[in-house]
Amino acid sequence: MMFKRLFFILSLMFLMPVWAGKVIKVVTSANFPPYEFHQNGQIVGVDIDIIREVLRRNGMEMVVEDMKFDSIIVAIQTGKGDIAASGLTVTEDRKREVDFSVTYVQAKQVIIVREDSDIAAPQDLQGRKIGVQSGTTGDTFVTENIGNPQRFDDASTAVAALKSGKLDAVVLDYEPARVHVARNAGLKLLDEPLTSEEYAFAVAKGNRELLEMINKTLQEMIADGTIENIRAKYEKVTDIEVAETDPDGSFKDDLYTVFVKNARWRYLCNGLKVTLLVAFFSVILGVSIGFFVAIIRSTADTTGKLKIANFLCKVYLMIIRGTPVVLQLLIIYFVVFGSMDVDKVLVAIIAFGINSGAYVAEIIRSGIMSIDRGQMEAGRSLGLSYSKTMILVILPQALKNVLPALGNEFIVLLKETSVCGFIALEDLTKGGDVIRSQTYNAFLPLIAVALVYLVLVMTFSFALEKLEKRLKKNE
Amino acid sequence: MSDEIILEACSLIKEFPALRAVDNVSFSVHKGETVFIVGPSGSGKSTFLRCLNMLEKPTGGEVLFHGKPINADSRGINSYRSKVGMVFQHFNLFPHLTIRQNITLAPVKTGLLTEVQAEKKADILLQRIGLLDKADAYPMQLSGGQKQRVAIIRACAMSPEILLFDEPTSALDPEMVGEVQSLMKDLAAEGMTMIVVTHEITFAAEVADRMVFMDHGKILEVGTPTQLMNSDNPRIKEFFTNVL
Repeated sequence: MMFKRLFFILSLMFLMPVWAGKVIKVVTSANFPPYEFHQNGQIVGVDIDIIREVLRRNGMEMVVEDMKFDSIIVAIQTGKGDIAASGLTVTEDRKREVDFSVTYVQAKQVIIVREDSDIAAPQDLQGRKIGVQSGTTGDTFVTENIGNPQRFDDASTAVAALKSGKLDAVVLDYEPARVHVARNAGLKLLDEPLTSEEYAFAVAKGNRELLEMINKTLQEMIADGTIENIRAKYEKVTDIEVAETDPDGSFKDDLYTVFVKNARWRYLCNGLKVTLLVAFFSVILGVSIGFFVAIIRSTADTTGKLKIANFLCKVYLMIIRGTPVVLQLLIIYFVVFGSMDVDKVLVAIIAFGINSGAYVAEIIRSGIMSIDRGQMEAGRSLGLSYSKTMILVILPQALKNVLPALGNEFIVLLKETSVCGFIALEDLTKGGDVIRSQTYNAFLPLIAVALVYLVLVMTFSFALEKLEKRLKKNE
Repeated sequence: MSDEIILEACSLIKEFPALRAVDNVSFSVHKGETVFIVGPSGSGKSTFLRCLNMLEKPTGGEVLFHGKPINADSRGINSYRSKVGMVFQHFNLFPHLTIRQNITLAPVKTGLLTEVQAEKKADILLQRIGLLDKADAYPMQLSGGQKQRVAIIRACAMSPEILLFDEPTSALDPEMVGEVQSLMKDLAAEGMTMIVVTHEITFAAEVADRMVFMDHGKILEVGTPTQLMNSDNPRIKEFFTNVL
């Protein structure tokens, strides 16, 4: 029965990409204003508007997916996205991985410094602490021509680091750099750019049909002035936004900007929902796997049976406990579910559930081992089977003994889900990141998110303490 | 006591990596009989007893129940054990269950009795040993002697054909030994078939129909308590001189 249902779900997973045929998936890294950024809960920007118009002219629709910039090329290669629209500069290295459209925008890498900085020109960068956004052309240029930079996941964190004196300069694309400087007091742009380059869209290698369609329409749009109009539109939008955000505002204004304006608190609420959903179901999955593995392991240890199952369990424990959870999450998303259109919440639940299962298994096994073997003998001597004795006699006592350790594991799991952002799932931490990238306020969202986690963990600990007290009644 | 043999060990052997704990032991128990196994520590008494209900899997020989061989790995082992009760030195009550639940767990979960029947039976048994007021207490709240008496009626709740006792009073304070022994005496008097491993020679002499003397994994002598205590075997003589 269970297998039938599982089979049904699996076949649904395989069928999904076929259904989703007509909608084009556009991947981007939406912390790069004005090319792509969050506004009023939506991803907008120059790149997004251009590609939407390209698709519209060809009678197609699109969905936009936000992810880390350095995941974008992989997403195109693995079919997680059809088109990358993310201010991608055409480089020889990237050309080997994906196919590029014609270029549609001229861009340049510029240098941001503090107003009192002694860096005045690109040649002054030598030997200084430089921040870049990981995987961007600025990253590549600085790495190859100047020295190893400090790589940040998003530009706003790099700018925050520059502001607080941890960096001497930040190298960014001109347009987003302009916005960052306008919104942060005490920063300036150097006049001389570091490099000049051109942006293009990217598709999977060999996807000629899609590429030719994009190129044809892009050339039309360049010719009829549509591209220039879109650029001009965002130049204005950004200026208005900048005027509204006062870098020298009071704490109260900051609170308003960060949480109330544009209903930004919703990022935290929705993120919290995702975090709780992922944590709750991965705990259930983890406990189920953990029980299963623990019982196989301890049965094998005490009776010498189930040798093959025990070996498989040991391999599982070794792999899961021997690798970081972030990598497991990425591998499950990009490799295991590589070409499947699968809900990311489900991917996260599977990844964290499998991960937690390994730790839960060893915790429960230690609980089983802590029970006097006379308990098993008493159960068996009364005619109860091994499994009945395990379930009715051993496990209830074992669980009580390991409750504090299990609670600890659940707390760790809850906080570990904060790496969901790596697969562009908007959990609580990622929600805070989005607010940071919109408001350029590095500190308030971080503290708010930390507080929410703290309250969650405190509530959970309190409930756990109650449960422990209740279970202690027979002592 | 009748002539009907309930349980029989045929050339039973239990070998551990460095030790032959039970060495080719053959022995049979008749219905209604009370057999006490005595002997020095490490003589293999307890291991032999545990082999009888397969808590230790014998490495050689056979155990016959009503003439049929028992296989430790077959499904039938559970129904066999439900007819062969065991009382342990350390009681092994289930600490997470109340006294009543300790008694009703096995009869209900093996399908022997319904929950209502099992609870009624538990209360009758508890009444009998004067612990009905402890029915809803947990094992932690009982004294050692009370725990062991509960363990005995827990085994009785399965209506076993035979009860095995593995040093039932060794872990008790001296003042609690009496209450457990008197319950065992009552059971023997009611005709329960019992095999008891013990160090309490006086008690054994008083209750036993037959006494078995074991040393180095072998049975040295079997007989009535009087026969054994007047044995000519120097090893047995020495043992009784030392313990009495």
